[in-house]
Amino acid sequence: MNRSEFSIVVGLLCLAHPILAQDARLSARLDKPTLAAVNAIVDSARISKLPTAPLIDKALEGVARGVNGESIVVAVHQLSLRMGSAKRALASNATPDEIKAAASALDVGVSVRDLARLRAMAGKQPVTVPLAVLTDLVGQKVPIPTATDLVLQFARSGVKDSDLALFQRNVRADVDQGADPTVAATTRARGLVARGGPSPKPSE
Amino acid sequence: MRSDDDAMMKEIARQLRAPLSPPVSGSFDARVMSAVRRLPRHSRFKLWSRLTTPRTVTFTPLSWGLLAASVALFAVIGAARAFDDIQVATKPMVTALFPKTAAPRPPQRVQFVLVAPDAKKVAVVGDFNGWDVDHAGYQAKHRGGGVWSVTAPVPLGHHRYSFVVDDSVWIADPTAPRIVDSDFGVANSAIVVQEQK
Repeated sequence: MNRSEFSIVVGLLCLAHPILAQDARLSARLDKPTLAAVNAIVDSARISKLPTAPLIDKALEGVARGVNGESIVVAVHQLSLRMGSAKRALASNATPDEIKAAASALDVGVSVRDLARLRAMAGKQPVTVPLAVLTDLVGQKVPIPTATDLVLQFARSGVKDSDLALFQRNVRADVDQGADPTVAATTRARGLVARGGPSPKPSE
Repeated sequence: MRSDDDAMMKEIARQLRAPLSPPVSGSFDARVMSAVRRLPRHSRFKLWSRLTTPRTVTFTPLSWGLLAASVALFAVIGAARAFDDIQVATKPMVTALFPKTAAPRPPQRVQFVLVAPDAKKVAVVGDFNGWDVDHAGYQAKHRGGGVWSVTAPVPLGHHRYSFVVDDSVWIADPTAPRIVDSDFGVANSAIVVQEQK
């Protein structure tokens, strides 16, 4: 490529640059190298039809926490990879919220295969809340296979999101009071599925 | 002697009739300007000259390919952005034409509560407010007895959030599902805001 051609290509890319994703909040808070790297990841995600808002939010969170630019770029990149895996596991019609929740589940160690199983089990029902509960259970040291089986069981039984949220709060309260996480989760789950509704509150 | 003179006169006449060799190119001024133009130029004039002088540019097939790829990238990204803009711009019209399918989804008011007896300031930060510690709408008020709370609008969907106490200490909501975030090594809380039925 001679100098003239190179100049034309560079000129076109410079023209294209302002068209690429430029979130005003990112521009105001990130330094130039970090901004350029994050924008590149965001544009790549957009082309892959992944939700871009979680990536921007991740970068903003990093800034708010005082994390350095390099770590922010790594975090945003890792999140984009997890969202890509999540989208493939949940099928192409997954909502941005489902992809976001599934990316969090992958982050704590839930497998892509289990995400696909949950999607298949839930049918057309949204899996955002089940995924949030699954992530929370694993975060509370409930073993991943146990937590996954419980959430799959809930999906199979058609447990409502509101009941799932109450289940999660009850398990957390039990654990805070000293209960073993696995025992608390399986016991509360048994009651929820058997009654076809939420287990009673801890105070009852 | 006479013949020698004749010969000399003929030679002089021939020399005078013959064209000058080398030929004189124009006037003195023209020759001076020609010499000046051959001198090295200032880079500013060189650039201007390159931009304004008609030139022949050659392209190899490879460079044509790279050029076409650049144009295609430009067009695809531009189209994607334009599509997003069109969606945003036409949203009110779509809402008016199809009120049931495109009904606006207003944020829901969510109460955040934290017990922090020693705190001087408590704020909520999350995906819904750009993780802005100073966002006015998400500053909790002390309700007494160490209980801090704020009720603020949160868009529908899945969000990550946290409390920030005294602008420095980050605390996940004790009552909400937790996300142990490997990226920054800290836990956030998760909230899934759904439409009130």
